[in-house]
Amino acid sequence: MYRWLDERLDLSRFNKKYLNKAFAVHHSYFIGEIALFAFITLVITGIFLTFNYEPSIRMVKVAGKELPAAYASVLYIDSLPFGAVLRSVHHWSASIMIAASFIHLLRILISGTYKRPREINWFLGLLLLVVAIVTSFTGYSLPYDAFSATATSIGYGIGTSIPYIGEWISQVIFGGEFPTVHSIPRVYSLHVLWFPLLLMALLGMHMLVMVKQKHTQPAYAKKVAPGRILGVPLMPQQAYMSTILFLLYLAVVFFIAGSYIAHPIEVFGPPTASTPAVKPDWYLIWIYGILQIIPGDLKINLPGGAVMNSEFIGSILIPGILGVAAVLLPFLDTRATKMRYMELPTRHPVRTGVTFALLAFLITTTMAGWKQELGFTAGQLWAIIIGSSVITYLVVYYAIILIWGRPPKGDEAETA
Amino acid sequence: MSKKTDTTRRAIVGATIGVGLGIGSLSLLAPVISLRPKKEETPETEPPKEGDVFTFAVGDNAGKEITFDDLPLEGPAVLAFPKDPKTGVIKSGEKTNLVLLIRLKPDELSEKVRQYAADGTVAYSAICTHLGCTVGEWDAAKGLLLCPCHKGFFDPRNGAEVVAGPPPRPLPTLPIRAEGNKPVVAGGFTSPPGVLAGTEAAGGSCAV
Repeated sequence: MYRWLDERLDLSRFNKKYLNKAFAVHHSYFIGEIALFAFITLVITGIFLTFNYEPSIRMVKVAGKELPAAYASVLYIDSLPFGAVLRSVHHWSASIMIAASFIHLLRILISGTYKRPREINWFLGLLLLVVAIVTSFTGYSLPYDAFSATATSIGYGIGTSIPYIGEWISQVIFGGEFPTVHSIPRVYSLHVLWFPLLLMALLGMHMLVMVKQKHTQPAYAKKVAPGRILGVPLMPQQAYMSTILFLLYLAVVFFIAGSYIAHPIEVFGPPTASTPAVKPDWYLIWIYGILQIIPGDLKINLPGGAVMNSEFIGSILIPGILGVAAVLLPFLDTRATKMRYMELPTRHPVRTGVTFALLAFLITTTMAGWKQELGFTAGQLWAIIIGSSVITYLVVYYAIILIWGRPPKGDEAETA
Repeated sequence: MSKKTDTTRRAIVGATIGVGLGIGSLSLLAPVISLRPKKEETPETEPPKEGDVFTFAVGDNAGKEITFDDLPLEGPAVLAFPKDPKTGVIKSGEKTNLVLLIRLKPDELSEKVRQYAADGTVAYSAICTHLGCTVGEWDAAKGLLLCPCHKGFFDPRNGAEVVAGPPPRPLPTLPIRAEGNKPVVAGGFTSPPGVLAGTEAAGGSCAV
């Protein structure tokens, strides 16, 4: 059989070229793989969910109760054998995909591997993270319970706050003023078709560029075999490691899903005129926190009567500024030679300090999401956010200089 | 055939194909206009108008008409949809028709609220001016209306002015009067209800 195929497809040549491809080895290189495994799991569990879900908010009668069809169909999914577990696997995998992508981004950031010639993959990675978050958000409304409907209507409100075009964009995405009968079919189409296709395309490009450019290597590889690629072949070592990791991933996520059912819609109930106190999923709480402490009357007037109001500034402009800074990074922080080996964080105190300050910012703005419970005022929280970001930077910067000394002057003298 | 005419011919063919493709693709944009659904006007989506009564919006009594006896003194507020007493249509088809009714001590109301109130009872739009959640909670200790989503506090004794939190403007007031033992709508909202995002927040009155 193999010979028959080989004669026609020249498999030996392909195998020689690709199955022996060397994979550099470092613990941190598995984080991106976990994001990929989460995506695969999302697609497979997602197929199961689409087979049973009904994208409509028209009222249906179930066991004597009038319920929106979407809500009723999710109750039906939960009643199927392992239905609730698979729905939870889908939910937790989305969280893991975003978490893994973010940690993967931190690894790239702290090791400086976004530098020339790797800018393209840095941009693709940023885009992947943003699209993954948007995709998760579109999935949020689909069960159409009181909690998710409220959270989605907040998303609708944030969309309308974009100057000039916000109203139009929000109404196109959500099919009019959320919720209308058009809302769920549109969000459903985006969630199960267009965003996954976009994610697949971006993931494909992300990996193609990586194969073409060759993965970066840990700093030790330069000492052991300078100028050559040090790693294990795809078959069998890397394949075994990846398979084991995937199985481990499945074991862990099924254990979590079996123990903690995600988003218990029976508890939240179908949407009513009243709205529950909602918090977004953890990866958006930092924006939710900023929205709570930004002064409501803050606004910037634009020509033509449009304004940038506090909702826009808090939930689109501030994250947008971080995004623009990330896009500009590979142009501002450069090196003379091609990026082949990971840089040591201890040799780059400024960048490492900024990375930790970013983390401090995200953690403290997330904390602001519990403003009410913590009993802090907006002013105190701003002081905590700005203070801890600045202090974290200073502490990390001076700690590195104190322990490892000042990095040698001259661009990458030690790694070039 | 000279070389010159050959290139001219190619340029003309290229330009023709280009213009054809361009206009063709532009025409594909036509459906984009219809992507924003038209808002359908039905009796259920009409704004509250003079003479409308109120019905419970949530709970076991949903749909039942509200009398002053249903409103507890000093809060909490009751969520209500207006109902046209002639046609019997409950106007629950439009989110911004949701109002909250709250009964307070008449002498605690500020001057400007009193003109819109029926004795101590005031009606406000229940849709938060921040991001459109329902202002459905009552902080009894502070005597303030609370939007649970981003913790916006409104003072019902003083025109639902924003006391704390992110909302950009007060909740619009719905003027009411007493008719028998029922609160009844006495006019339109004092300002547009709901979220006015991305446009100049209308501070002025649009009373009907």
